[in-house]
Amino acid sequence: MTAKFLKRHAPLILGAVSMIGICVIWQAVVDLGFMNPFFVSRPTDVAQEILTQAEDGQLLRNIMESMKSFLIAISMAGVVGVGLGLLAGWFRDAEAALSPFIWFKYSAPTIAFYPIFIAFLGYGTPTIVAVAFLFALTPIYANTLAGIRSADRDLVRAARAFGARPLDIFLKVALPSSVPIVVAGLRLGVGRALTGVVVAELFGATAGLGYAVAESSQRLQTTRMMASIIVIIIIGVLLTQILSWAEKRTDAWRVQPDAA
Amino acid sequence: MLNTTEAANNKSAALPLPWPFSRSFAISLASVAIFFLIWQIAPALGWVNGRFTSQPSQVLVAGWTELGTATFWNAARISFTEFALGFALSLAVALPLAALMVTSKIARYMIDPPLMALYIAPSLILLPILILWLGIGMASKVAVVFLGAFFPIAVNTMAGMRQVDPKLLTMARAFGASRSRLFYSILIPSALPSLLTGIRLGIGRGVLGVIVGELYAAQAGIGYQLSTYGNSMRIDLLLVYALVVSTFGYVLTEFVRLLEVQVGKWGAK
Repeated sequence: MTAKFLKRHAPLILGAVSMIGICVIWQAVVDLGFMNPFFVSRPTDVAQEILTQAEDGQLLRNIMESMKSFLIAISMAGVVGVGLGLLAGWFRDAEAALSPFIWFKYSAPTIAFYPIFIAFLGYGTPTIVAVAFLFALTPIYANTLAGIRSADRDLVRAARAFGARPLDIFLKVALPSSVPIVVAGLRLGVGRALTGVVVAELFGATAGLGYAVAESSQRLQTTRMMASIIVIIIIGVLLTQILSWAEKRTDAWRVQPDAA
Repeated sequence: MLNTTEAANNKSAALPLPWPFSRSFAISLASVAIFFLIWQIAPALGWVNGRFTSQPSQVLVAGWTELGTATFWNAARISFTEFALGFALSLAVALPLAALMVTSKIARYMIDPPLMALYIAPSLILLPILILWLGIGMASKVAVVFLGAFFPIAVNTMAGMRQVDPKLLTMARAFGASRSRLFYSILIPSALPSLLTGIRLGIGRGVLGVIVGELYAAQAGIGYQLSTYGNSMRIDLLLVYALVVSTFGYVLTEFVRLLEVQVGKWGAK
């Protein structure tokens, strides 16, 4: 009974053991004097710091600031990315006109243009939003394009045989069938938008989680830096998990070919 | 619309046009040309401030002179060394780790949660702490590249190795193959396509890592030059360096993509 329980939940148990193990080792090497807490801090100190910041509202303020930039950026990237993706997926000429810029955007590290954003938009939220928007745009566009293109040819042919016009095919066949791939693109975009927000906040901001990391690193406050880093990692994991869940939901209605 | 595009495709398949004159290519070319034209004349017409946007002609001139200078080659050498070292290090760690996670269930369950957490979270946020540990020299950038490239390579290689035919492993073990022999002769060759996918994704993240690292705190390198020229508003020179980085990332990514296609063909046989 116990053995069976252990076996079924082995991934969860061992995963928890490993996470706890990392914290214990981290705490031990500092407490036993193998490592200087100045460089790595301590799990107990970091937990204490997160609690203190949660109490005095600093944590919430930084999270809200970062999430504000994040939400604006991901909404813009969603609208523009899906819009351009639909256009390029349906009209091959539109794809031809857009593709050189998308290629360039794909291979260029967006952050290299950071000084230009600063020149146009100034320090603060607009620049952060612009960087995060560009980070998130490519996967959303690419997936929407692929989603429209991947419409089942038999369905398209059947619809056309029954007299559907191109607009009907677009709205009733291509668009619905592309939804799961578009959501997958949004999930990738969410991760990249978050990277964009925190990286841009590292360089120039007055609030936000990335700013908190940069500021405490300049003051050599390792515990505060670690606390913000851990909060960012947790937010990243949570956001991606939510989108993965949405992805499964949107894919559920599809009849699996091998299940039928 | 789908009708007409499909018909056009069929036609071009039956009567192949010489490549440069395909309809898509002409449209791409025209769209880029229009972009450059607008960029060139916009400052002159007063639509934008030329100090912020520069002009294609200025960028061309700046590139022509800058690419011959020792400053440029020195910066490029430093950034490339950081990138190459970090990438080699991530391959050297990711491949054995992936093999370990595939051959041992306990190891997989224990390593998977922290690995996935750092893979999907923005790992670039670790940059300030890396600089605290390793200083503002090359070591911290090597570490950033390592962090960027390591996770996609490890995760994809592991996914590839998990699809290895278990019969092959059983047979090799029955014939007394050692662990290292299994690794080199079965796991790595079978996982090669996924490994290349991981490498391709890792290149983009690695290049981004070098640039972000050098922009944040450095004394030399392409990112450092970007930040210097950005601060002094030399947008033409800034764009030259940004273009060099983009070209580097693009060429390397496309090269690996070609390898992927070749390996895919070989695997299908």
